[in-house]
Amino acid sequence: MFVIKNKQILANDIKRIDVHAPHIAKKIQPGQFVSVCPQEGDERIPLTVVEADQIKGTIALIFQEIGETTKHFGAIPINESVFSILGPLGTPAKIEKKGTVVCIATGIGAAQILPICRAFRKAGNKVIGIVGAKTKRTLLLEAQMRLSCNKIFITTNDGSWERRGVVTDALKDMIQKQEVDLVYAIGSAEMMQAVCLLTQTKNIPTRVALNPMMVDCMGMCGSCRVKIGEEILLACVDGPEFDGHKVDFNHFNIRVNAFKGIEEWHNRSSQPNPKNDEPKTFRKFLSGILRE
Amino acid sequence: MQGCPLGINIPGFIRHLREGQIREAYERIKEKNPLPSICGRICSAPCEVSCVLTDEGAPIGIRALERYSSDFGRTKQKRQTVFSKGKKIAIVGSGPAGLAAASELAAQGYQVTIYEALDKPGGVLRYGIPEFRIPKKILDEEIGEIKALGVEIETNFFIGQTATLKDLFEKGFVAILLATGAGMPKFMELPGSNLGGVYYGEEFLMRVNLTRPATFSRQKPNFMLGSKVAVIGSGNTALDCARACVRYGSQVNLVFRRTEEEMRVRREEYEFGKEEGIAAEPLVKPIEIVANLNNFVGGLKCIRMDYAESTEEGKWDLVPVPDSEFVLDVDTVIIAIGHKPNSLIGKFDSHLVMNAEGTIRLDEETGMTSIPAVFACGNVVTNAGPVVEAIASGKNAAKNIVSYLK
Repeated sequence: MFVIKNKQILANDIKRIDVHAPHIAKKIQPGQFVSVCPQEGDERIPLTVVEADQIKGTIALIFQEIGETTKHFGAIPINESVFSILGPLGTPAKIEKKGTVVCIATGIGAAQILPICRAFRKAGNKVIGIVGAKTKRTLLLEAQMRLSCNKIFITTNDGSWERRGVVTDALKDMIQKQEVDLVYAIGSAEMMQAVCLLTQTKNIPTRVALNPMMVDCMGMCGSCRVKIGEEILLACVDGPEFDGHKVDFNHFNIRVNAFKGIEEWHNRSSQPNPKNDEPKTFRKFLSGILRE
Repeated sequence: MQGCPLGINIPGFIRHLREGQIREAYERIKEKNPLPSICGRICSAPCEVSCVLTDEGAPIGIRALERYSSDFGRTKQKRQTVFSKGKKIAIVGSGPAGLAAASELAAQGYQVTIYEALDKPGGVLRYGIPEFRIPKKILDEEIGEIKALGVEIETNFFIGQTATLKDLFEKGFVAILLATGAGMPKFMELPGSNLGGVYYGEEFLMRVNLTRPATFSRQKPNFMLGSKVAVIGSGNTALDCARACVRYGSQVNLVFRRTEEEMRVRREEYEFGKEEGIAAEPLVKPIEIVANLNNFVGGLKCIRMDYAESTEEGKWDLVPVPDSEFVLDVDTVIIAIGHKPNSLIGKFDSHLVMNAEGTIRLDEETGMTSIPAVFACGNVVTNAGPVVEAIASGKNAAKNIVSYLK
C-alpha cells in the first residue's frame, strides 16, 4: 500500500525516502509527523514529513539510521512497500506573521525545520536560518534551506564550511545586532536548552520541537511525556511544538537518555565481537607497530 | 442467566455441552456474543457470581465452558446473504465494542467500515492484552469471522487527523459510531516517574505486543527490562504486565495499596500469577522512585499501610504505618494504576461535548452524542469496565443506530 517511490542517500547514514501515501499528503501541515513501521513486528518511529507532493501523493521522509528499526526502513528498496505509515500526527506548527523569525537547526533537525521555514516565509515573515552540522559532509539540505530562507548562516564544528563554531554563537551575534521577533529551534536537547537560555535574557519568544521516544504516537502509551511548566503533556498529541521557556529540560534530558542504551544495544548485537588480542582496525594495527 | 450483560442463554448452552453437542453450544453462544472465544478467555464472568451454586461452594466454570465450546465447536460460517440496506456506517476503533457493533450492524444489512489507527485491527485485544491471555491466532480468527459478514476494516487511518468526522459524512456515511476505548494512561504523581526504566502499563504492554510473537519467550525484549521489576497497581493491566515480565525472565514484585481480597482481578488470574512466581506486596504505598547515578531506576521507596478505625461507620481507613519505610531493590518500575478515556477525537472536533472526566456525553434517550448521527459506545463512554460490558454497550449502540436510521 505504501510504496517507496524514490530513495536518496544524503550523507553517511542519512537517507531520504519518498513514500506514496495520498491520504497523508493531502492533510499534512508543517510541523506534523508520521509514524512509520517498516516491517511487521518492528517498533514504530516518528518521522517529520519534509515535503508533501499532493499531485503525486508522496511524502518525503529524512532520517538517520541509528537503531534497528531505522536500518530496516533504510534497507527497503524502491517499489517495495512499507508495512504501515500512520499520520498526520501531532498539532501543526503555529504559523503567523511575526516579522523576523530565526529558525535554528542542527544535524537531522534541518530536515524538520525546512517545512517550517517555508511556511513562515509564505506567511510574509523575514526568515533567517541558522544551520549547524559537525562537518560539511553531514550538512543536510543546504540548497533547499538557502532557497527557503531570506538569509542563512551555516556553522560547522570543525570549520570545514562557512563559520566555525556552534549555532548558539551565530544566534548570540545576531540578537545583539538586530531585532528578532521569534526563534524556532529544532535539534538536540542540549542545543535547544542553550538557545532557550540565550533568548530568555532578551525575552524573545522561543518555540522548540521536542522529539522524545514514542511508541504508538497517538497518546496511548505516555512514553513521550514532557514537563511543560507544571503539567505533564504528551509530545505526540499536544506537541511536538512547545514554548521553549516553559520546557523543563532536566526532565526532558532524562527522558531522552532513558532510551540511549537501546541504540547501543542494537548496534552491539549487529556487529561481530572482535577477539581480545586482535587489532580492531587497521589504524590501531599500524599504531601498534609504530609504538614498538 | 440474569448475570450475563449480553444475555447469553447459559443453561441452554451448558445443556448442549452435557449432551456432547459442542457445535450447537457454540451457535447458542454466538447468537448473543460476537466474540465468544475472547470472552471465554478474559471475561470478568459476572455470571459465575450469580450462579446458584456460588453459595454452596464453587460456581460452575461458565467461562471455561464458553472457551471450550468456542475453541472446539467453531464452524466455518458461510457468508450470510442479507439484503443490503445500502446505507454506510463508519465505526471508529476496532476494539471489542467496535467489533461487536460492526457484527450486529452488518448482520442487519448495513455496509460497515471500521477505521483503525494502528496497523492491525483488534484494539486493546491486540495491543493491550499479552499473547498468553489472548493468542493472536484466536483473535485473527474472530476478526476473520466478522470480516466474513461483509465488514470492511481500514487500518492506518486515524479519524480526526487522516480524515475528520466531517470528511466521513462527505464520503457518504449516514452514521458514525465512536468506539475509541479508554487507553490513555493516568499519570501518577510519584517523584522520579520520569527516570529511565519507568514505564506505564500501557506503554509496556504495547512494546511487548508490538514485538514479533516468536521472539516473546526466548529472546530479550527490544526495550530495557531489568532483572528485578516492580509493578505498581492491582488491576488487570498490572497483573498482565507482571506476568509478561515473568515470561521475559524477570523477578517481579507486585506493589499495591489494597489487600489481596480487594484486588480488581479475578481470583483465578491472581492465583495463576502467584504460581508463575510473582511476589506480591499488599498494603504498600510507593512514595518515591530512587534514581541511580545514570538517572535510571535504582530502587522503589515504599511505606507500609494498615487499616485504622475511622469515624465513619463501618468504613476503614488506610493509613501509613509510621517508620515502616523500606526500599525495594528494583531496576525497572511499571506503573499500571488505571486508564483515562481516549477522547482525542474531541480535540479535532469542537462540537463534541465532553464530560469533566473526559468521557463523551450521550443523550440518554437516543444514545447520540452532541453531533447528530454520531454515536458512541464502549469505554470512551463508561470510562472503565470489563470487556463483556464493552461488547454489550457496542450491541446497544448498534440498536440505537438502527432505530435512528429507521
